[in-house]
Amino acid sequence: MFLQLLLSGLSFGSLYALIALAMVIIYKTSEVPNFGQGEMAMLSTFVAFTLLVTYGHSFAISFIGALLFAALLGAFLEFVFLRRAKDPNILSLILITLGFEMVLYGVASWKWGADQRDLPFPVSDFDLVNLGPAVISYLNLATLLVTLALMLLLFLFFRYTKVGIAMKATQQNPMAARVNGIRVNRILSVTWAMSSTIGAVAGIMLAPVATLDPNLMLEPLLKGFASAVLGGMTTLVGSALGGYILGIIENLFGGYVSLEFKSIVAFGIIVLVLCFKPSGLFAKHYIKKV
Amino acid sequence: MKKYALMGLCLLVLLLGTVPIVSAERGVTDTEIRIGQWGPQTGPAALWGAVARGTGCYFDMINDEGGIHGRKINYFLRDDGYMPPRTKAIAKELIEDKQVFAFASGVGTAPGMAVKKYLDSNKVPWVGPATGSTHWAFPPSKYLFANYPLYIDEAAILVNYAVKKMGKKRIAFFYQNDDYGKEGLAGAEYALEKMGMKLVASVSVEPLDTDLSSHCMKLKAAEPDCVLMWLLPKHGAIILGTAAKLGFSPQWMTTSTLSDTDIMYKITKGLFKDVIYVSFGELIDSKSPLMIKYKKAQEKFAAQDRWGIFFYAGFLFVEPMVEALQRAGRDLTADSFVKAMESLKDFQGIGPKLTYGPTQRQGARSSFLAKVEEGGKAVQISDWMSSDVDLDVVLKKLGRI
Repeated sequence: MFLQLLLSGLSFGSLYALIALAMVIIYKTSEVPNFGQGEMAMLSTFVAFTLLVTYGHSFAISFIGALLFAALLGAFLEFVFLRRAKDPNILSLILITLGFEMVLYGVASWKWGADQRDLPFPVSDFDLVNLGPAVISYLNLATLLVTLALMLLLFLFFRYTKVGIAMKATQQNPMAARVNGIRVNRILSVTWAMSSTIGAVAGIMLAPVATLDPNLMLEPLLKGFASAVLGGMTTLVGSALGGYILGIIENLFGGYVSLEFKSIVAFGIIVLVLCFKPSGLFAKHYIKKV
Repeated sequence: MKKYALMGLCLLVLLLGTVPIVSAERGVTDTEIRIGQWGPQTGPAALWGAVARGTGCYFDMINDEGGIHGRKINYFLRDDGYMPPRTKAIAKELIEDKQVFAFASGVGTAPGMAVKKYLDSNKVPWVGPATGSTHWAFPPSKYLFANYPLYIDEAAILVNYAVKKMGKKRIAFFYQNDDYGKEGLAGAEYALEKMGMKLVASVSVEPLDTDLSSHCMKLKAAEPDCVLMWLLPKHGAIILGTAAKLGFSPQWMTTSTLSDTDIMYKITKGLFKDVIYVSFGELIDSKSPLMIKYKKAQEKFAAQDRWGIFFYAGFLFVEPMVEALQRAGRDLTADSFVKAMESLKDFQGIGPKLTYGPTQRQGARSSFLAKVEEGGKAVQISDWMSSDVDLDVVLKKLGRI
């Protein structure tokens, strides 16, 4: 039982981790928690569904198509809405992301309706790997691996590519970055595109388990946000770890303490973290940018 | 002096304006009867929005046949997105502005509860709220008639069938933690108690949960041979998937809420096969004359809609209303309509038999069971069965009386 709870926690945790990563990438550059993240991912998942089921393309094409769509959507939202905000302070930017949430949700409801859909996925959730007394499905395993791979890619990206380094520079000091010839606006668009793409991966990995409808990401987004707060909104690795920890804690809590209060655990954790270590468990320090 | 003349004129116009409304029945003219419905066309519950469109199609059919006593039904459908505050606004708009005579069906317990008192105090007849909650008919209110079989009855019928017909000995219950789930739970507990048995486990889920692994393990640990689920379709799919993964395969049973077997079969990737569920109306491929007639109406008036259980449920919930409008005759008022409704005894369309009386507002107490086969096709496995639940006992237990 313990091992099974742990494994289930890990596999859902890796989805939380992906969403947390997506949120943190944006948060790091602009200090805005993007509440539209979930619906951006949901919409991209619907695009994958449409390419796959309605137009009958192969999974690979649909997957790549959906990621491209996600990237464009992210860049588009940043370019068309956030950049136009006059005199933006953090609060108004957050409000804009809430606006995205509602608009995108509306678009998906209008275009695809509320019927539950099944997103065919090449990796089965019912083929199992036996690990002693517990099992993990190929799909769960794939989710774990994809998350780890993405984390590695992001690490390499921020470490070794010019754009990655420019992003870090923008995060630390936009003004200085601009003086050094970095086109900060463009960097922001790229950030949004990347974040949106990672979110889309999470959506596409979640849909085969949770069924696809416009509500796909409502709860996972909150959990992803909680993970990011838990791990630290300013650290990529930390926020991802936060996802795994949250997934495991939730499952153990549900298994041994109380199922009724399982869904509240995440919010309890947010409160506790904000009380005792507001920067998150894994963030080195908390500096308020002035 | 001129001022007074003007005021007097205004007063006169006002008085004249109100006179016809006071004397005639609201929403009933020589040529039309106005009927409204709210239903989620957008938002999380939009899957059930088909009910309201089904009703519209049914009224189109009635009008096409010449209407009722020379009057056509003028139907007002409004989208409340399953949000009670919007339902309230809709009720107000339709009653005060559009002057509807009655309300048909309406999806959702919370939206319906938000306007129940308002409708009753305005003497607006309301027939067939589309949920199996006990809130509609207990206590009874004069203008509200329920015809959806109660979740309590559904659960009791399932449990009886599982134990008596299938020889199941260990029953567990998996439910959404709200009125919907709890009423089902109460019905199951009642039926088991009557047979000297108990649930081996009851596990609840919050509407927003996505990860049901620990729920499933808890159910599995109790080693049930039959599990009843009172859930959202989405949770039904997730729990069946999780259970299959964990090698947990009891007999699954469920409520009419999950009776859209086409969709359930698809989103569970076939795991919905062999699930037994309660049906409040004839199955989708039924060849009864009424079902054939309704299917034709759908093809004619609502070809863009899918012929699914929730769509023709929009016909089912409103059948007694149309029957009562017929019986009330040309001289239609809210009170003559209520009298006509109360005269329905064992009235049956495509749903359960309905009986109302001066104090009886829950028309249906029976359902039948169906089993899902390969491909999502459902097959009827029992006749209509009446519930033997003593509602007073269960309502007391639920703290309702």
